[in-house]
Amino acid sequence: EKMPAYKVYYFNARGRAEPTRLLLAAAGVPFEDVRFEVEKWPEYKPKMPMGQAPVLEVDGTMICQSAAMARFVARETGRAGKTNLEMAQADMIVNGVSDMINIMIDYHYSEPDETRKAEKKKKFFDTTLPQFLGHFEKLLVANNGGDGFFAGDGLTHAETFFLCLYESISKENPNVLSAFPKLAALV
Amino acid sequence: GVHCGACRKMSVYELHYFNNRGRAEPARLLFAAAGLPYRDIRIQSEQWPEYKLKLPMHQVPVLEVDGTMICQSVAIARYVAKVTGHAGKTDLEQAKVDMLVDGIDDVMTKKGDYVWHEKDETRKMEKKTAFYETTLPQFLSHFEKLLRTNNGGDGFLVGEGLTHADAWFLCLADDILLDFPDIFSPYPKLAALVERIRTYPGIKEWLAKRPQTPF
Repeated sequence: EKMPAYKVYYFNARGRAEPTRLLLAAAGVPFEDVRFEVEKWPEYKPKMPMGQAPVLEVDGTMICQSAAMARFVARETGRAGKTNLEMAQADMIVNGVSDMINIMIDYHYSEPDETRKAEKKKKFFDTTLPQFLGHFEKLLVANNGGDGFFAGDGLTHAETFFLCLYESISKENPNVLSAFPKLAALV
Repeated sequence: GVHCGACRKMSVYELHYFNNRGRAEPARLLFAAAGLPYRDIRIQSEQWPEYKLKLPMHQVPVLEVDGTMICQSVAIARYVAKVTGHAGKTDLEQAKVDMLVDGIDDVMTKKGDYVWHEKDETRKMEKKTAFYETTLPQFLSHFEKLLRTNNGGDGFLVGEGLTHADAWFLCLADDILLDFPDIFSPYPKLAALVERIRTYPGIKEWLAKRPQTPF
């Protein structure tokens, strides 16, 4: 069967495209890694299904929304979980991780007031993030002791989202996983 | 439960949520569309502090499948859709469904932000105005266009049958219509889609009998 032609459209950043890029890389699948400068975005935007990036183009069909893209590549490359339940377990991690990423994006880009921004960031790193890392650690451990992956017995789209979250939070605090040994080992 | 052909065992489904539509309703609509029985658990707020401790991310909704707990409303709805054959027929169709669901989820989250999380009344009104004047019209325009690309737009959002994207869309529609009953007047295909979902066998009966809650 002919391999489809994949293109990933995004800014020149890891951001919301990286989970998909990681999955393509993990499978050794070639893809056109289209990165545009911010000034070029107005040219690309009208061509995107919801006026947003990233977008995955598969033989000309455009799929937007980072989790949908990653799940598609995961499914195509056999990394989406072996059963519906395993995929749901991977999906719930992706959603939980995305919730964390969205909080960071919100205070970083959408909060104009510097005091409120600092408060939100503090609340995230002091409270919300540790709570959720605790949940993720527990879920990882529930999967055969936690020395493998989040769902089933292989890497899925859950891992690629988690790695991207880790890259952001560890910049702020390199010891962010010190209380979560299984997550640290997973990274 | 659903009949697992390989093992001849019926699965037991329990959906945990509060007594509202909220983020559990897409899954409830999908169970209804398939005539698939499940336990529709509605937690009282007094129970919540203890209840949440047994949930994977201390949040609801949670779908319990033969004792395994799945959280995150989008993951739950997708799972129910897959089990009931409403997820899209090919991988690419499923990806299209997924992207529409994520788009709806984004809009619902944005709405939820000003409704539930913005405490300052002035900012709340500003955000609500921005939502209804900018965010939502942009989103509905994209969706009207995407619907029309699916065989002219007189069926469902993706492919030939109802998928979880349609279930999510009805839930969003129910919400925004409460604020603006004529919100779909610029979007005739979307308006017709809402009616199509409302009258879908199984969903129609559920809508008539479901608990009536403000959200």
